[in-house]
Amino acid sequence: MIVLIIIGYSLLALFELIPFYHQKHWREFWVNAGFGFCSFTIAVLLSFDVNIPSPSEPIKNMVMFVIRKLV
Amino acid sequence: MRKEQISDKEAMFVLIIYYIGSSFILGVGGEAKNDAWISVILGVVMAVPVILIYARLLSLFPEKDLFDILDWAFGKWIGKLFALVYIWYSFHLGALVIRNFGEFTNTIAIPETPMIVPMLCIGIICTVAVTSGIEVIGRISAAVLPILIIIVSTVSLMAIPKMYFHFLKPILGNGFLPIIKGGFSVFSFPFAESVLLMGVFSSLKTNKSPYRVYLLGTVIAGLLILMITFRNITVLGSTYSKFYFPAHIAVSMVSLGDFLQRIELAVAVDFVFGVFIKTSICLLVTCKGIAKLLRLNDYRSIVIQVALLMVYFSYTLYDSIMEMAGWAFKVYAYYAFPFQVIFPIILFVTVEIKVRRGKKKLQTGVGTDG
Repeated sequence: MIVLIIIGYSLLALFELIPFYHQKHWREFWVNAGFGFCSFTIAVLLSFDVNIPSPSEPIKNMVMFVIRKLV
Repeated sequence: MRKEQISDKEAMFVLIIYYIGSSFILGVGGEAKNDAWISVILGVVMAVPVILIYARLLSLFPEKDLFDILDWAFGKWIGKLFALVYIWYSFHLGALVIRNFGEFTNTIAIPETPMIVPMLCIGIICTVAVTSGIEVIGRISAAVLPILIIIVSTVSLMAIPKMYFHFLKPILGNGFLPIIKGGFSVFSFPFAESVLLMGVFSSLKTNKSPYRVYLLGTVIAGLLILMITFRNITVLGSTYSKFYFPAHIAVSMVSLGDFLQRIELAVAVDFVFGVFIKTSICLLVTCKGIAKLLRLNDYRSIVIQVALLMVYFSYTLYDSIMEMAGWAFKVYAYYAFPFQVIFPIILFVTVEIKVRRGKKKLQTGVGTDG
């Protein structure tokens, strides 16, 4: 799985990032690289079955807290 | 870069498919049980004032989208803060829709396949659509909606022998409160979700277009959702709200003799197209918002990475389908309320004050000059 992810992201870097580098679109290059790094990290974590915390529970608790305060 | 433009008809079709996207398959107004059809009507009625606010904001600023309006109304920093809020909402909503799709395919069609696979597939298709732009999404919607309506109408007609109209009784048997709760739920999912379309309807032709698109689109989608809810209730009775995918269960009971069976596939086709359009719109709004926030030349440069993040995020959202259903029907309406009602009202009031002050200044200036 990890090999597939590395190949996939290498191809993405090749077709997405390198053109920006050549065209000197630095803003696009860095934003894309930042998002790419985040998504690559999450993909690797998911491939190793690492439990990534979900925001659903904190949102639910916050909404319930606000409703209880209002009602 | 060339300015993208869509016709009123295409925009209306996008809006209708956006509305019926996941509501067709998940069902709406479950809180009201066999009175859910009344909740749908109430939900549409509740949505009209909010939708008029969205249309008014768009008509005041032709060729400007939600993020431009936020910037104009609140200035650089507060405008950026509000933009961030709407980027989060569209990203989260897109992830929720992808997750609905993942749970549906995993529960109904391909339980052995890891859920991430269909979710990645829909993510890739949406990436292609968003990279192609709103014009392409509009043309796809214009081509697909008539087919969806034909499928839904045919399946509903075929369901008539399985309908038991006494399931609608007792009308108002549980009182008004469940209907109001159901109406609020229908209002927030799907009708007030159309706030995100303010992020793409900058491509409309005239400043009267937003009113036409929003009002007609909402009424037509409301009628379609009403028809589906009516069919589901009369086929399933008050157990309607107990199923995760009521439309699928209701249609699976329908058959025409021995030769036309398993037509629930038709419902799945509707759902796939709906999810595709809705996720594409959410992805488009997220990318446009990020591009405006970070001053990128083109939103297309980040579509692939944002789509991947959206899919991963949707994968990590819930542990089970029970958690998804609980969140969708108990928490979502309250969570989405600020994005759908409170912030647009604040924006509307600010814009109206600024516009009127501007007009007054202009009139005073003209008067003094004269």
